[in-house]
Amino acid sequence: MTCKNLHYWLFFLLYSFSWGQNDSIIRLNEVIVSDSQLKNFSKSQAVNTLNDSILNKNQGSLTSLLSTNSTIYFKENGAGMVSSASFRGTTAQQTAVIWNGININSQLNGQTDFNIINPTDFTNISIRLGGGSVIYGSGAIGGSIHLNSELKFNTATSNLFRLNYGSFETYGGNYQLEIGKEKWAVQASISANSSDNEYEYIGYDKKNENGEFANQSYNFSIGHKINVTNFIKFYSYLFNGERHFSGTITVKSDDKYLDFNTRNMLEWILFKNKYTSKIKAAFLTEKYNYYENINSDIYTFGQVNSLFFRHDFIYSISKSITVNTLLDFTESDAKGSDLLTKTRIIGTGSIHWKHKLSNKLDYELGIRQEVTDTYESPLLFSAGTSFSLTDFYTIKANLSKNFRIPAFNDLYWLGSGNPDLNPEHSLQGEIGTELNYKNSKFVLTGFLIQLKDMIRWTPNSNGLWQPENTQSVTNYGLEAQFETKKSIDMHLFSFSTSYGYTVSENNKTDKQLTYVPNHKANANLAYNYKSFTSYYQWVYTGEVFTSSDNFYKLDDYALSNLGIDYNFGKKKTYLLGFQVLNVTNEKYQNVISRPMPGRNFKLYLSLNL
Amino acid sequence: MNLKKIGILLTLSGLFLTACTNDYDISTPLGAYDNGVLILNQGNFGGGNSSISFWSNDFSSFEFNAFSSVNPSVTLGDTAQDLGFYGDKAYVVVNLSNTIQVVNRYTLEHLTTISNGLSNPRYIAFANGNAYVTNWGDASNAEDDYVAVINLTSNSVTSSIPVAEGPERILEHYDKLYIAHIGGYGFGNSISVIEANNNTVSSIVVGDVPNSMALVNNDLYVLCGGKPSWAEPETSGSLVKINISTNTVTSTIPYLLRDHPSNLIFHNNKFYYTVDSNVFSKTIEANTIPSTPIFSTTQQGVYGVYSFAIANNKIYVGDAADYNSNGKVYIYSLTGTLENQEKVGVIPGGFYFN
Repeated sequence: MTCKNLHYWLFFLLYSFSWGQNDSIIRLNEVIVSDSQLKNFSKSQAVNTLNDSILNKNQGSLTSLLSTNSTIYFKENGAGMVSSASFRGTTAQQTAVIWNGININSQLNGQTDFNIINPTDFTNISIRLGGGSVIYGSGAIGGSIHLNSELKFNTATSNLFRLNYGSFETYGGNYQLEIGKEKWAVQASISANSSDNEYEYIGYDKKNENGEFANQSYNFSIGHKINVTNFIKFYSYLFNGERHFSGTITVKSDDKYLDFNTRNMLEWILFKNKYTSKIKAAFLTEKYNYYENINSDIYTFGQVNSLFFRHDFIYSISKSITVNTLLDFTESDAKGSDLLTKTRIIGTGSIHWKHKLSNKLDYELGIRQEVTDTYESPLLFSAGTSFSLTDFYTIKANLSKNFRIPAFNDLYWLGSGNPDLNPEHSLQGEIGTELNYKNSKFVLTGFLIQLKDMIRWTPNSNGLWQPENTQSVTNYGLEAQFETKKSIDMHLFSFSTSYGYTVSENNKTDKQLTYVPNHKANANLAYNYKSFTSYYQWVYTGEVFTSSDNFYKLDDYALSNLGIDYNFGKKKTYLLGFQVLNVTNEKYQNVISRPMPGRNFKLYLSLNL
Repeated sequence: MNLKKIGILLTLSGLFLTACTNDYDISTPLGAYDNGVLILNQGNFGGGNSSISFWSNDFSSFEFNAFSSVNPSVTLGDTAQDLGFYGDKAYVVVNLSNTIQVVNRYTLEHLTTISNGLSNPRYIAFANGNAYVTNWGDASNAEDDYVAVINLTSNSVTSSIPVAEGPERILEHYDKLYIAHIGGYGFGNSISVIEANNNTVSSIVVGDVPNSMALVNNDLYVLCGGKPSWAEPETSGSLVKINISTNTVTSTIPYLLRDHPSNLIFHNNKFYYTVDSNVFSKTIEANTIPSTPIFSTTQQGVYGVYSFAIANNKIYVGDAADYNSNGKVYIYSLTGTLENQEKVGVIPGGFYFN
C-alpha cells in the first residue's frame, strides 16, 4: 500500500467513528427513493433488486456483483480494468446506468465502466430488464442498472462498517451511515479499495504486471421534510480512481488511467392531494487522464461537465390512473486533448400513463421526444401490460422503441469523429411470465430486439477509423430465473439461479456479434444455521467470438466461489467471513489475451453497530 | 523444433515442389518456406495473435498459420509490424510486444527473441552487420523517437540514435539508412539519413507524411501521402525525388488534393502505388501523376489496399477487411486481372519474398 492510500485509510477510519451513536426511537419507517419510475412504471417488465445479503457476499466490484447475480455478461479487460456490460446481446452503450433516477453513462464514450463504481456505496441496486429509453433515455435498450440511495425516515441510526482483505494485496473498506429522524434522513457512505492485482497467469509463467488499482468514493444523501407538502433532498457522489492498465500475455504495459467523477443533485418535491411535483437540478462531471507511460508526465484527457434539470410531475387522475410527465434539459460541455471542444444541449419531454383496469390487469404507456441540434432524434414509445391470471401467476408484455445517442467521442474525436451521426434505435418486444408460489419464484422471458443504425467504428478507404450508422442487428433470446427458500427447523436454505440464451446477429452477415455469449448462467446456494452461513456461487459464461467473422473465439468457462461467515454479534450483526474465489482454479480469459485470476481468497468483516 | 522434424519438413516440401511443374527457377529449397512469400499478419491490436501465412510462388501451396505450425509453443506476439531478411534469418518486428522475433527465414524455426531496448518498434533494415530498427517511443511524446542499432551477433541493442518524431519505413543503400518520418501522432515531413559507419544523422525535408520509398539508381523516391482530410489543412500528396549523392530534393510532383497515395514500389522500370482501392503505375520519366488507375480492387470488396507488393510479375494486395476478421490476399497480373486469392490471418500487413 502506498503512502497515499494509507492516508485515505486513516481518513476513512476517523470519519467512521466520528458519527454519533444510535437512536432508539423507532417510528413509522418510510423509505424514499428518487427513482420513482422504477417502482411506478416498470410493472410490465422484470425488475430484480439485489438485497443486503447479496451485497454483503459480493464486496468486490460492481462487475463481479452483477455477473454473479444476473444474466448480464461483462467484458473485463483483465481483473479490475475497464469493464463493460452487455444485456440481452446489446453493446455496452446500449446498457444504461441510472444513479438516483438519472442516466450517468459517460458522455464521452456512452457507456459505464463497471469497475469505477463501488456497489457498497448504495443501499439498493436494481436491474431492470428490457427497453427503458422512454423513461431513462439513451442506452436503456438491453436494460438498465439502477444505483439508489434510499433515505429512511423514522428509523434507528445505523453504522455499518465493512472491511475486507484478499489475495494479491487487495484491500477494501466501506462505512455506511443511516440516520432517520422525523424530519431528517441521511444516508452516507465512504469506500476505499486498492489492490496490487499481481496475480499469476495460469499456465503462462507470467504475472498480471502493472495491474494495480486504488480508488476512493463517497456517497452522501440527505433529505429534509420542510413541512407536510414540501420536501427537499440532496444527493452527492464522488469517485476518484487510479488504475494501471495491465498488459496482456504478449504485451507488457506501462500505462495508467485516472478517473474522477462527481455527481450532485438537488431535488425539491411538492406533495399535493392530486399531484406531486419534483424539480431536480444536477451537476455531473466526468474526467479521465490517460498516461501512456507511467514514468512520463505526458497524458491525454477528456472531460465533460453536465448540467441537468428535470421537472417530474405526477398526477393522479383517479385512483386507478396516473399520469407522469418528465421535462428534461441537459447541457454538456466537453473538452479533451483528442476532442473538439463542444457543447451539446438536449431538451426532452415525455408522458407516461399508468392505468389499473382491475386488480388483475394493468397497462402502461409512454412516449418521449428529444430535441437537439446535434442529431435527429426518433420518437420513442413504450407500451406494456401486466395481467395476473391468478394470484400466483402473472403475464407481462412490453413493446418499446429505444435509442442510444452518439457520444462525444463518436461525434467529435479529433480526426475521426463523425458529426453527422444519428442515434441507434431499436424496436423491441418481450413477453414474460412470473410464477410466485409460497417461497418460490419463477420468471421466464422471451425477447426480440431489432436494432438499426448501429454506430460502428470502421476503417475507411484511407485506413482512417470513423464511426458510422451502419449496422443492423437482431437480438433474440430467453431468460429464465428461479429462486426459492426453504427452512427446516433452524436450517435455512436459499437457492437462486438464472440462465440467459442470447443470439445477437449482424443482419448483413448472419454472424454472432463479438463478445456476446450464447449462454450465460449462474446459481447461488446459501445455507444458514443460527449464526452461521455458508454459500456457493457459480457462474457459467459460454464461448464468445472475438472476431466478427466468428473465426476466433474464447472458450467457455465456469467459475465457482465458496464462502462462509459467522455472526458473532448478539443483538447487532458482527459478521466475519471467508471466501474462496475461483475454487477450481479455472484457467480462463474474458477478453482475448488477458488471463483472469486463478484461485484466490478473501477475508471480510462486517460490523453493524 | 528438433532436427528430425526439420528433416521431415524439408523432405515433404522437396517432394512437393518437384511434383509440380512451373515456370519458376527453383533452386534446391532451403526450407519448407523457401520459394514463396511470407505474409505477415499483424493480428488484432491487443489480441496477441500476430501470425505468418505462407504462399508458394507458384500458388500451389498455402499455409494459413505457418509460424505456429512450426513453433507450436511460441507466440509470435502482438501486432507484428515488419519483417526483414538478413542472411538466413528473418527478423520479425513486433510492435506492441516491443520485441523482435528471430527465426530461420526458410524453416521459420524460432531462434531467439530480442526484447530489450525497443520501444514501439516499427520497421527494420540492415547495414554493417547491424540491424537498424525505427522506434516511436511513446506515441504521445514527440521527443523520444529513435533508431535502435542491434548487434546481430549478440542480438542486443548496442546504441540508440535519436531522430525526429515518427520514424517509420527504413531503407538501406550502401551503408546509408534512409528513414521516412511519417510522424507518429502528428505529421512528419522529413527523411533522416544515418551513416552506418559512424551513426551520424542528417535530415532532408520532403512532403507531408512520407509513407514509402524506392531507390532507383542514384535517386531516392519518396512517396508522401499528404495530410489527411481531417488534418486542417489537408495537404496534397507528392512524389519527391532526392539525389542521394547530394541529399537534395531534385523534383517534386504533386498529387490532387484529395488523393493520398501510398505503397510506392519500383518494378521493371515503372513505379506502382495505390490510392485507396486503386492501383496506379507511372513511368519514371513522366512529370505528372496519371489520372486513371491500372485497375481497382473494389470488385473484390477491398476497401483500401492495406499491403502491396510486386514479385514475379504479380501484384500482391493485402486486404485488412474489417481489421478484426481474417484478411485476404489477392494476386493480380500487372494489368490487373485477378488470378488468385487466399484467406490469411488478421490484417495482412506485409509480403516478404523468400
